[in-house]
Amino acid sequence: MSNNILTQNDIQHVDYKDVDLLKQFINPHGRIMARGKSGLTAKQQRAVEAAIKRARFMGLLPFIQK
Amino acid sequence: MAVSNGVSADEAVMEVNETEVQDAPALRIYEVGYHIAPETKEEDLEKVVATIRSIVEQAGGSFIAEGAPSMTKLAYPMFVREGEKTTEYDRGYFGWLKFEAPVAVARSLEESLKRDKNLFRFIVFQTVREDTRAKYKAPQLREVKRTDVIKQAPRRVEETSAPVSEEDLEKAIQDITAE
Repeated sequence: MSNNILTQNDIQHVDYKDVDLLKQFINPHGRIMARGKSGLTAKQQRAVEAAIKRARFMGLLPFIQK
Repeated sequence: MAVSNGVSADEAVMEVNETEVQDAPALRIYEVGYHIAPETKEEDLEKVVATIRSIVEQAGGSFIAEGAPSMTKLAYPMFVREGEKTTEYDRGYFGWLKFEAPVAVARSLEESLKRDKNLFRFIVFQTVREDTRAKYKAPQLREVKRTDVIKQAPRRVEETSAPVSEEDLEKAIQDITAE
């Protein structure tokens, strides 16, 4: 079984404001999960990365978390 | 006026696709997210948003979706320098706007937002027309099925309820002794 959250929930677009969704793709330190761990396709992974970085810039997600 | 502009520009885009005319302004979908300084009064928020809207409208843009500014706690403190003074923000009114506008708007909007003293951070980027908000609910950590639920002793319930007839009592006793 794949653990691709985006495909399982039929999500076509990733929005930087969906903090709850993006939190699924960062580890407790706030770092972005590797593709192997997130289970996303390359295209999805790029979209998630861009969204997380936008969310970080806007202070919705942390850059680092101790 | 903005709407009529948008429609004519839409037609212009169609022309570009068909005949490849160079002078028609290409429309693109943009989204702007912004943080309004927390010391701004609630009733003044509308004014700040109106200034952002007017910039887009003047340039012939049309709005698609909007999120009203609401107080949001920041994930990390932001420091904004204004000359000698540095201000630290740990919260702000976060709002967003999605609009369709000619390409030049993105740059002019950024320039004018930079000069806006009410905003301490903003972002402008290209996006798609469709609603990008996912209807996703984060899973609970764990759903525990309780096995230690205390069932009320039926004997007590009978005691508190209306008086029991002799027959019922006898039946109950027989049930208990039979087990």
